Amino acid sequence: MTVPAQRVRTASGGGRAAAVARFLIPKILQCLFVVWATYTVAFVLIHALPGDPVLAALSLRGGDATSTDPVELDALRARYGLDGPVWQQYLVNFLGLFRGDLGVSIATGQPVVDMIGRAFPNTAAVAVFALVVGFLVALAFTVWAYVARPAWMRNVVTGIPPLGIAIPAFLSGLVLISVFSFGLGWFPASGTNGFVSVVLPGITLALPTGAIFFQVFSAAVFDAGASPFVFTANAKGLAQRTVVVRHVLRNALLPSITIIGLQIGYLAGGTAVVETVFSRDGIGRLTVDAVLARDVNVVMGVVVVVAIVYAVVTLVVDGLYGVIDPRTRTRLGGRKVVTR
Amino acid sequence: MTHSRTRGFRRLAVPLIAGLSVVALAGCSAGSADSSATPGADVAQDISFAIAGDPTCLDPQQTSLTTSLNIGRQLTDSLLDQNPDTGEIVPWLASEWDVSDDLTSYSFTLRDGVTFSDGTALTSDVVAANFDAIVALGASASLANGYLAGYAGTEVTDDTHFTVAFSAPNVQFQQGATTISLGLLSADTVAASSEDRCQSVVGTGPFVLDSYVPNDSVEIVKRAGYDWASELRGHQGEAYLDSVSFPIIAEPSVRTGGLESGEYDVIQDVPYVDESRFSSDDYHLYAKANPGVPNSLVINTSRGVLADEAVRQAISKGLDRDQINVLTGSISGQAPTSVLTSSTPGYVDLGDTLAYDADGAKELLEGDGWTLGADGIYEKDGQPLTVTVTAFYAQDVLEAAQIQLREVGIDLQLNMVSSGDFFGAIASGEYDMLGAGLTRTDPDALRTLLSTSSASRWGIVDDAELEGLLQEQSQTADVDARQDIVAEIQQIVAERAYVIPTLETVQLHGSRAGVEGITFDSAARLHLYDTAVVSD
Repeated sequence: MTVPAQRVRTASGGGRAAAVARFLIPKILQCLFVVWATYTVAFVLIHALPGDPVLAALSLRGGDATSTDPVELDALRARYGLDGPVWQQYLVNFLGLFRGDLGVSIATGQPVVDMIGRAFPNTAAVAVFALVVGFLVALAFTVWAYVARPAWMRNVVTGIPPLGIAIPAFLSGLVLISVFSFGLGWFPASGTNGFVSVVLPGITLALPTGAIFFQVFSAAVFDAGASPFVFTANAKGLAQRTVVVRHVLRNALLPSITIIGLQIGYLAGGTAVVETVFSRDGIGRLTVDAVLARDVNVVMGVVVVVAIVYAVVTLVVDGLYGVIDPRTRTRLGGRKVVTR
Repeated sequence: MTHSRTRGFRRLAVPLIAGLSVVALAGCSAGSADSSATPGADVAQDISFAIAGDPTCLDPQQTSLTTSLNIGRQLTDSLLDQNPDTGEIVPWLASEWDVSDDLTSYSFTLRDGVTFSDGTALTSDVVAANFDAIVALGASASLANGYLAGYAGTEVTDDTHFTVAFSAPNVQFQQGATTISLGLLSADTVAASSEDRCQSVVGTGPFVLDSYVPNDSVEIVKRAGYDWASELRGHQGEAYLDSVSFPIIAEPSVRTGGLESGEYDVIQDVPYVDESRFSSDDYHLYAKANPGVPNSLVINTSRGVLADEAVRQAISKGLDRDQINVLTGSISGQAPTSVLTSSTPGYVDLGDTLAYDADGAKELLEGDGWTLGADGIYEKDGQPLTVTVTAFYAQDVLEAAQIQLREVGIDLQLNMVSSGDFFGAIASGEYDMLGAGLTRTDPDALRTLLSTSSASRWGIVDDAELEGLLQEQSQTADVDARQDIVAEIQQIVAERAYVIPTLETVQLHGSRAGVEGITFDSAARLHLYDTAVVSD
């Protein structure tokens, strides 16, 4: 169905590459704008906070022996790029982004890029696991809810997934640790060693993720299920399975992709609780530590990286719209097609 | 047969000794008594020791985080060692030492045959490079720099003889030389940048750093050929343990659950509320009060009502320290009875001065012209008796104090801030009082806290008599004479309520019963050198 539509447009519109460029360039610019705006807002907020970030980070390492000597503090400020006028810090640090330079952590003295590079794969592993498990479970529940009879049974099934978001990740994580780590000894309670260490934190995060997926999936599926074409398909006597897979799920895909994009953005930055409970080195825990220590360079680094992930995911989702839904593509593809 | 009988005896003996040491915590008899562990036959000598937070920086000279210092203590040794029970200073890497009468120069003779784990020898030049580097690190190594105050240089006589010189009398250096903060690192480590040193250090210790993955874990392994333990240790030669893994477990319930399930052999910072869970024979608890100034209200007398000595004394009398200890402290701990903790050398018992006396507090205030207002808070000239405490930890302690002071008509306001803002307040002097403790292993901690010339002056007092005594103790080499001055200082500080102690913070660690021989050094850091797995 999609393939002929594409051919038609290629033939009638200008070059296909030009059309794709017209479609993509504004979105890429939008993507860059999001990163810049996030950086700027975060910079303003961090610098508007009272208190001295160098002193805060120093006290993390120095404890009750922290020096408050102004001369020594000034020397450290210069070392961490926190001296000089604010506009200069803003410009220098922002331009540094294009060189892949996120500065140096005040609390640990390590390059922020290294710290994020170390933590990111650990977070990504859990996030991908949670996304896949959450997606599959939500899908299973959606289909189950759609086909469940009688009505009270359907109500029961649709009532289960919201629990995933009602129970805080902190609690579900500790319950999983008590049962599967300390009780049964199947999975480690902490650390980042291999796939086994991903399972429990992944499931903990899959619960709210799956619950949100389910809300969107089920709404879309029940909408589609009530639509005329499904009524027609049912009337034609198609098997229930064929109707569900070919018509209902397919039409529910578009809103679902939007929510997947949002969820990836959430998982990239929202794993703090799970990473703390499971003692995993990841972006979330890095952020918590950095905020507690007022390690502004790391906070800025994390904010920028999460903004980039979010912007890129949004870009990809927008692109996928064009592939999945021909209407979107035609509308955005080129004015010529529409006007002629 | 003999073997199992010995083991059975030990099972009985260890809880008994642990119990006794808790009772005798004031005298601090924990330590060498139960360090006679011997490794069990056919038991792997590898343990997992869950620590409470990322050490952030492994370099013991730069950090003052307990977690990092506990690890650093295993990696390198100090020039001298101090008996935590008696305060006596004994040789370690230095076989002999001599202190000049004016406390401005310390001469050392290094022990023969000591090498760093990279194979290089410990020489006078390396020691000099260590001290020079600490001074160059400045604010990044503030605790170590405190011990080296007035450092004028190290004069190297030959490979094993050197003299550390100070521009002014430095009484705390001898004691500082026993701490891990002045632990010695190899020439390469010392020459590295401060950031690199945080990631990897080479020392002379019984263990060698194997790996450090920030926020994940630290691994150390036994140093082959180690043969220079101090006489305070339970044995000589190599450590018993082959390796120690330190997973970083920030969540306390995961640490305690993991100790119960056997995932961890030892855990750091057992929450006080969980203490009774681990007081059975299946576990050992290790408790020691941090030396130095206990958790206290440290007063700024230059502002507001706290300039009035009667008000300060009323606050001190209005605190029921035993109740605070029951509510917020460890079972193994005791209420503070001086402005130094019971584990600090030089501590004197001032229990009478610091006794709870709510009526006395009210009398003091009324005699000072305060009248009880309608809301139950004293007031004078229309001003309510409100004081604010600025703190960044131990909120529960301050809340308990707040409730108690409310009952005697004093309104205590809590200003909980981040650690950075806490030190920011110190830098600007904008606070009524600070709620915190100061961990140091020498009574000189009071000078650090209160002297007008101290770089980390928290308590702001204008008392020439006290200042004179604080300086005098720091220049007195004679131990007995100094003790007299230190006792007088504690009396003055407690009586005039410049520092109002609230709680002795206890380091509380736990292990399963099969792991024995964990000991505290004089600064309440851990030694794992004598630690052994006696059974699975």
